[in-house]
Amino acid sequence: MRLVIARCSVDYAGRLTAHLPTAVRLLLVKADGSVLVHSDGGSYKPLNWMSPPCRLEESDGEWRVVNKAGEELRITLDEVLHDSTHDLGIDPGLTKDGVEAHLQELLAEHVHTLGNGWRLVRREYPTPIGPVDLMCRDADGISVAVEVKRRGEIDGVEQLTRYLDLLNRDPLLAPVRGVFAAQVIKQQARVLAEDRGIRCVTLDYDALRGIDDPTARLF
Amino acid sequence: MTVKFRVERDTLADAVTWVARALPNRPPVPVLAGLLIEADDNGTLHLSGFDYEVSAKVEVNAEVSDPGTALVSGRLLAEICRSLPGKPVDVVTDGTKVALTCGASRFTLLTMPVDEYPTLPAMPENTGMVAGDVLTEAVGQVTVAASRDETLPILTGVRLEIEGDTLTLMATDRYRLAMRTLTWRPSSPGASSIALVRARTLAEVAKALGSADEVSLALSTGGATELIGFTANGRRTTSLLVDGDYPKVRALFPESLLTHAVVETQSLIEAVRRVALVAERNTPVRLTFTDGLITLEAGQGEDAQASEAVESSLVGDELSIAFNPQYLLDGLGALSLPFTRLSFTQATKPAVITGQASADAEDDDDTYRYLIMPVRLAG
Repeated sequence: MRLVIARCSVDYAGRLTAHLPTAVRLLLVKADGSVLVHSDGGSYKPLNWMSPPCRLEESDGEWRVVNKAGEELRITLDEVLHDSTHDLGIDPGLTKDGVEAHLQELLAEHVHTLGNGWRLVRREYPTPIGPVDLMCRDADGISVAVEVKRRGEIDGVEQLTRYLDLLNRDPLLAPVRGVFAAQVIKQQARVLAEDRGIRCVTLDYDALRGIDDPTARLF
Repeated sequence: MTVKFRVERDTLADAVTWVARALPNRPPVPVLAGLLIEADDNGTLHLSGFDYEVSAKVEVNAEVSDPGTALVSGRLLAEICRSLPGKPVDVVTDGTKVALTCGASRFTLLTMPVDEYPTLPAMPENTGMVAGDVLTEAVGQVTVAASRDETLPILTGVRLEIEGDTLTLMATDRYRLAMRTLTWRPSSPGASSIALVRARTLAEVAKALGSADEVSLALSTGGATELIGFTANGRRTTSLLVDGDYPKVRALFPESLLTHAVVETQSLIEAVRRVALVAERNTPVRLTFTDGLITLEAGQGEDAQASEAVESSLVGDELSIAFNPQYLLDGLGALSLPFTRLSFTQATKPAVITGQASADAEDDDDTYRYLIMPVRLAG
């Protein structure tokens, strides 16, 4: 990662033409070859940029960034105020806030939210195509596979349908019913799930976490 | 087999619009997007729609030349009917198409297979009759308190309790509770049953059938399908009941109320609305009751603030209490009488809102009660 702070003007020629008049800006040159021009504002968005694959040609007082399509970002440097390069190593990637995993854990502790007399068989119940979030037994001892999502969408229903299909081939488990549990369930997903006989349950994260204040309510 | 009939534009448009409202937005089976048209020998047109949960069926008069049945896209038909000129509408089926002619406009619609269409649930036996305007008022009064939160499906419903000639409707979202009792005509004097109906469905029913003098209510509980039906003005609608145990909410009303204030309903509503303008999300309006006056305040500290005083009479000790302004307005807005009685036990306990006919009336009207949980004030 190379950081350059410079007084510069920028011209872009490609599918559209753009010009940035002279000002002090931050230029980022990333290891993948991309070049981004940032001002001191505008959040995460660069003023101008070139995505990889592209080539940076540096000459005295001028950078040319060219890609295969012949588009060109030309940066004219009047004064370089800072130029440093850092090796950031390999990025572990973005991890989601963990709500989904936490929901699964909370629901496992409070299986009764799904129905009275329900018992948890185990979390991450294995199937040949990957583990299903929760395997439970309802009050009548019938197996129920539960897929937990933060946002319930069509692909989650499809995933649960595949698990149910496989689980129902096991004579010791069958019949296995399905529950699709999420904080919000999209209408499309709900229609698909209910059409396949899968029950939809909307989860209240705050109530499961116990941070709900019952004294503010009537009951 | 062809179907052929002629019907007045307004009659058709009203009927189709009403039935189309019951059609699902995302039908799991394509035929459910259809509106079933049945023309019979007696010159009656039956239009119906169904989404497995709610069904709607309406009968209108038509000049039927060839009786029969056709299934067409309900949404499209509704849009067409709304836009037609005010002339008689001729409908003729031709193979897999339906031709609709009105004045100089002509539409051709595709039909869907009638034999794939599910049978609408049968209307349960009549349980009793209720006046249309009373039903509309009562439904409006209780549905304001029903929950919109799908995490608690039971609370998105309105509970109906039938005990002889008394019908009680109640709804709560755990922050407020609305309860209305009314007198109706049960078909058998010893009628006693309970039902939980989705508030949204009930509101739709009241809107569609409330203009009738009397609405027939039909309930079938305890069987394989628990169903409620409403009939009036040639329109009938059925809905599955919500299952689950409704919390015992009657006991939430305080047994004895120590303090009460009486205030003109409209001036209190207006004052709350004005003061609430500065109450940001989830902040309350504070009401201080002193003899002769209610002082309303909202906002504090660095934020915008507002205050207003409203004349009122007070029986009991002075008291300061705070409410969510919207919940308070919902309750006040549901009252049908010109004066409001606000009754309290303590500032931290639920308050009861009822209507009364005049400022100095001895008793309040207890057929409608709205219980509201106060917001605890910091410090």
